[in-house]
Amino acid sequence: MKTTYTLPIGPIHPALKEPVMFEFEIDGEKIVNVDVKAGQVHRGIEWIGTQRNPIQILYLAERICGICNISHPFAYCRAVEYIADVEVPEKAEYIRVIIAELERIHSHILWAGVAAHEVGFDSVLYLSWRLRENVMDLIEYLTGNRVTKAMFTIGGVRRDITKDQYPKIENTIKYYRENMGKLKHVFLDDKTFKLRCRDCGILTKDNALKLCAVGPTTRASGVKKDVRVDQAYSAYGDLDIDYITPDILTGEVKGDVYDRIVVRLLEVEQSLDLIEQCLDRMPTSGNIAVEEKIPKLLATLKKVEGEGIGRHEAPRGEVIHYVKLTGEEHPYTWKVRAPTYNNILPWIPMLLGEQIADIPIVAASTDPCLSCTNRVAIVENGKKNILTGEDLHRLSVEKTRRLMRK
Amino acid sequence: MRFSMVPELLKQLFKKPFTNKFPAKYAPPSTKEFLEAVKKGKIKIVPPVETPPGFRGKINYDREKCIGCQLCVKVCPSQAIEFKPEEKKIRIYISRCTFCAQCTDVCPVNALSMSDEFLLANEDKLAKELIREEKVA
Amino acid sequence: MSFLSLSEWGFKIVIGTLLAAAFGIILGLVFKGIDRKIAAHMQARVGPPIRQPFRDVAKLFIKENIVPENAIPWLFNLAPIVGLIATISILLYLPIGGLNPLFGDKGDLILILYLLIIPSLAMVVGGFASGSPYATVGAQREMIVMMSYEFPLAITIIAIAWRLSSIVGGNVFSLATIVANPLWNNVGLLGFIGLILLLIVLVLVTPGELSKIPFDVPEAETEIAGGLLVEYSGRNLALFYLTDAVKTVVMGSLIIALFFPYNLSPLLGLNGYLASTVDILFYLLKLFIVIIFSVTLIRVGVARLKIDQVVYTYWIPLTLVGLIGLVLLMMDARAFIPLGW
Repeated sequence: MKTTYTLPIGPIHPALKEPVMFEFEIDGEKIVNVDVKAGQVHRGIEWIGTQRNPIQILYLAERICGICNISHPFAYCRAVEYIADVEVPEKAEYIRVIIAELERIHSHILWAGVAAHEVGFDSVLYLSWRLRENVMDLIEYLTGNRVTKAMFTIGGVRRDITKDQYPKIENTIKYYRENMGKLKHVFLDDKTFKLRCRDCGILTKDNALKLCAVGPTTRASGVKKDVRVDQAYSAYGDLDIDYITPDILTGEVKGDVYDRIVVRLLEVEQSLDLIEQCLDRMPTSGNIAVEEKIPKLLATLKKVEGEGIGRHEAPRGEVIHYVKLTGEEHPYTWKVRAPTYNNILPWIPMLLGEQIADIPIVAASTDPCLSCTNRVAIVENGKKNILTGEDLHRLSVEKTRRLMRK
Repeated sequence: MRFSMVPELLKQLFKKPFTNKFPAKYAPPSTKEFLEAVKKGKIKIVPPVETPPGFRGKINYDREKCIGCQLCVKVCPSQAIEFKPEEKKIRIYISRCTFCAQCTDVCPVNALSMSDEFLLANEDKLAKELIREEKVA
Repeated sequence: MSFLSLSEWGFKIVIGTLLAAAFGIILGLVFKGIDRKIAAHMQARVGPPIRQPFRDVAKLFIKENIVPENAIPWLFNLAPIVGLIATISILLYLPIGGLNPLFGDKGDLILILYLLIIPSLAMVVGGFASGSPYATVGAQREMIVMMSYEFPLAITIIAIAWRLSSIVGGNVFSLATIVANPLWNNVGLLGFIGLILLLIVLVLVTPGELSKIPFDVPEAETEIAGGLLVEYSGRNLALFYLTDAVKTVVMGSLIIALFFPYNLSPLLGLNGYLASTVDILFYLLKLFIVIIFSVTLIRVGVARLKIDQVVYTYWIPLTLVGLIGLVLLMMDARAFIPLGW
């Protein structure tokens, strides 16, 4: 006799910030089985990319996700620069790193607020988003817009960070150093938070390695994986950077939700250090782009051939872009592998055996950004198919006709 | 028993709220009447937060300087710029613009620039405010 | 007790009930608005104006009332009505505004304890009749939370009644008796500490009764999308909203009646209508303070607990605190010279 019932969470649910489909088999309040279906936000961005020239794809890549806004252009630029064999000037590398670290700060504080909301602690949501306003103002001052920063171009950056902008950056760093203590005190010392997050949603080191989890999710389980340290690209090679694992603060690694909070809050402080180091070492003069005149750049890019891979450590993990150019204006292929794609499967071992009340906080603790993960797969009779835009259109027209016949 | 948030909350109770009260403190019962009263000058709108210099807002087009090279048409990611062959000038559709300022960078004669206007909401995609083709007076 | 004729008795019931209902609903909505405004200022926001709950209820009444396909229609529509009626009827037995309860001689504290179960039970029945898995989970949780908080609540009530029985005679559960003999005047130091502990227990049972954070597991918004009330809309949801507002007034009045039944007019030496007005204003002030501490501050200050943690909190720490309070009151009684012991 079946004693379990099925509870669907998603695609639309207050616990999830973006659509993903969960189907749980629940016995009382305990989860017995989990099934995850992603791909509800497919927008066909890669197809649009094959109809545009490389400069236009930069802005398309920026709009894949609103939070990891700089990570996608960064990886894309590295891929194309590898193909075109251009070397980015040193000043531009430092500016890129500063903007990327500012984005990491804003993303982690945003995540902290969302995690608090999932546990029902709205006051911490308002507090953290209030603290986040400072870095958003700084980003607006440096780049012209709070979210879509449009700073990158192939071979460098578009705007300079001049010496008279330094005081504002230093003010922001000082503000955050004073206030991160408050945020850490609320998150890590509060008794009800500990009751909810400790020993909940555990991802063992073994599972994290087998399922190839990336980003803070895997670092919280003790796996030392970070593209900035492993590959030392851009200006990261000159900076003093190390892996952040929870035993730096608490002394032991458990791999639960609490550890993931610790890792993200420590990473914010690491980003503040990195920005300070960049400001010290950045050369005060120099080009900010290899080729400032865009028509010449476009003409060069039209003639190169080859394939390239660009990697970057986004706030959520490692993002990979693969580009293939064949000497025409439009690229032959552009493929995006977002970090959340790797972090979805670890949800299954994390959620088995937990209660329903743990579902939102465990899912949120891996910081899913499903807008980045845009692929539709259908499993029919055990075969997997990847559908294109035309197939989806045909299926939806068929379904409308079926419904109209009823 | 550490309840870390409670002292913070009690302190905050006596301070000013952080909200920027744009456009009014409470939602008006009827938006249409509110906007008409603002036009007549009876109610003042609380101003929004100041934008910094270098803000990428609505685009400004200087028709006299434009030479019709069509470079901006080629680089616009959302294909929001249309070339008018008979006059050799362009028309920009703000409803499609993504405010990336790529056209501003590419223009060889600096005919385009970004202003700091961002209150651009409108009910009609092709309203007069959302199409730029003449010189800004 | 005077002998009224049948028509006079009927008159008292009808007018009294209408007055109590109007009083409870209006006061409940005003205090709900005040609670939201103060919570917002604690979180550095502006918050809605105090008349916002009135607008919410008015808007809900004019919206469409949808009954889902899988639901049991008669139960689904009956549950909110039963909940609201039961909550309003409790007001008839509680001393409000410094006046004696309307039907004080017909019902006492035990009746109030039973009547308090009915609104929660109506929500459970409504949840099960909704035909949605989220509502089922929410209804199961509400039943479990109800079972857990009854224990500390019962201990508090029994402790107070027991202590009172060694001071005065008659029906110690009658609210008129409790209000006339505030316990603070009649206990020594041990009893004082015991009463403080019982007050803490009752203040922590209140969020559980009213389904507010940290004990709002049945209605968790982010976990089960609204829980019990997920399928309710329009007029039914408006009735549940009003039930919640009136229940806040009821729980606040209960705490005031048991622990702070003092009136201001004897102190100022007033009489007649002036005394009643001052009494009612003082009652509103006391209700305001009680609601701030037992609902608002706790609601914004902590996170939501899981269901097994809720049961643990009510059954182990709070029951222990209640029992210690009871024992302290008992020890205090032996220290005093009791009446006819």
